[in-house]
Amino acid sequence: MIKCVVWDIDNTLLTGVYLESGDQLPEPDPELLAVVRELAGRGILNALASRNPPAAARYVAKVTGADFAAEECGWGSKAEAITRIAAELSLAPDAIAFVDDDMLERAEVAAALPDVLVLTPEDAVEAPGWPAFSPAVITDEARRRGELYARRRQRQAEAAAFGGSRDEFLRHVGTRISIALATEADLPRLHELSVRTHQLNSGGEEVTESELAGYLEAAGVAVYTVRLADNFGDDGLVGTAILTGNEAGGDAVGLVSGAFGVYQVPLVMMSCRALGRGALDALLAWLCRAAAAAGATELQIPCLVTERNVPMRLALAAAGLRAEPGSIGPDGRAIFARSLTGALPRLADWVTVP
Amino acid sequence: MLADLTGRPEVAHIGPDTVLFGEGVGLDSLAGTMLLRQIERRYGVDVAAEDLNLDALETLGTLASFITKRV
Repeated sequence: MIKCVVWDIDNTLLTGVYLESGDQLPEPDPELLAVVRELAGRGILNALASRNPPAAARYVAKVTGADFAAEECGWGSKAEAITRIAAELSLAPDAIAFVDDDMLERAEVAAALPDVLVLTPEDAVEAPGWPAFSPAVITDEARRRGELYARRRQRQAEAAAFGGSRDEFLRHVGTRISIALATEADLPRLHELSVRTHQLNSGGEEVTESELAGYLEAAGVAVYTVRLADNFGDDGLVGTAILTGNEAGGDAVGLVSGAFGVYQVPLVMMSCRALGRGALDALLAWLCRAAAAAGATELQIPCLVTERNVPMRLALAAAGLRAEPGSIGPDGRAIFARSLTGALPRLADWVTVP
Repeated sequence: MLADLTGRPEVAHIGPDTVLFGEGVGLDSLAGTMLLRQIERRYGVDVAAEDLNLDALETLGTLASFITKRV
């Protein structure tokens, strides 16, 4: 699934060369502009990589009216630019497509980054018809993704200029986190999270809408959603967790009942866009508190141990959860646990809970 | 490194027993991930691969001793 298309500017998005056009700056290519808009509407990000001064990117943004999630304008290689874009957007190379009219540029990128989908402008015109560019369901969060990434860059610029702690910054920008019980209307977005998230995902597998609906209906199982917003914009539903206690009984949607007093979180998922904004910390703190309020004495969170979800393990450690090193099961998961007696993690005052 | 990642210059002067997560330094998953990456780049030590619980990140002292044992 392609999550971001990186566009070259000269003779690709623009019908001409930016620096060679004097007063008559080139117009955008109408066919490619239509592709940019169509993909944005599907939740696919657009980015720019060009050997041009930054003013070229500003010109393209202005003249197309499109949001660009990242802009690498400089004099290095396209492969380097794409690598930086991937890092900035937390995307793997196989989620990126690159469009350039120049055969040598395409060859350079294809050699350096074999997982990137390299396209000619003619290919790009056809691409909206391809499966890799066609998500099955388009959620509200997807439709607004381009806009949300533009706001994210503004937030990051302000964070870089801010002179206090992370929590002071979150308060300064009006962060609002709300945790609520999930409803049926949330199912498409929850399913999308299971497909898209890897770094902040304890399970690492796709969960279908009907499995999620099963969790919603099962007795003794609570599905929570996390919504995130601040003065820069509303990111909508960014994360979810399933909490189950010993009342769940043996086989509710395939969950095994834990020992008495032990609550389990079979799944936690969050969009990596929410990293650094306190949403996962709030969710984990809430899970501890909700389980404790229900009478549990221990909370367990099985978590897949992979290279990609180190950020999830960091959040678990910060919330006071620990795993026995030998406890990695055949499914690759370690059971992270913490006692719920004693002091529980704090909830910041900008977090609303059920 | 910590002072840069948290944007708080006073963090450059913390003692070895200051807790990294929570009130002291306030390391979160974002800053933590970047810290681990920088440690790997600078010292060649992949903390996450070897330490399931990331206990090495408990305090500055535990982190320093984890790294020096493996450098």
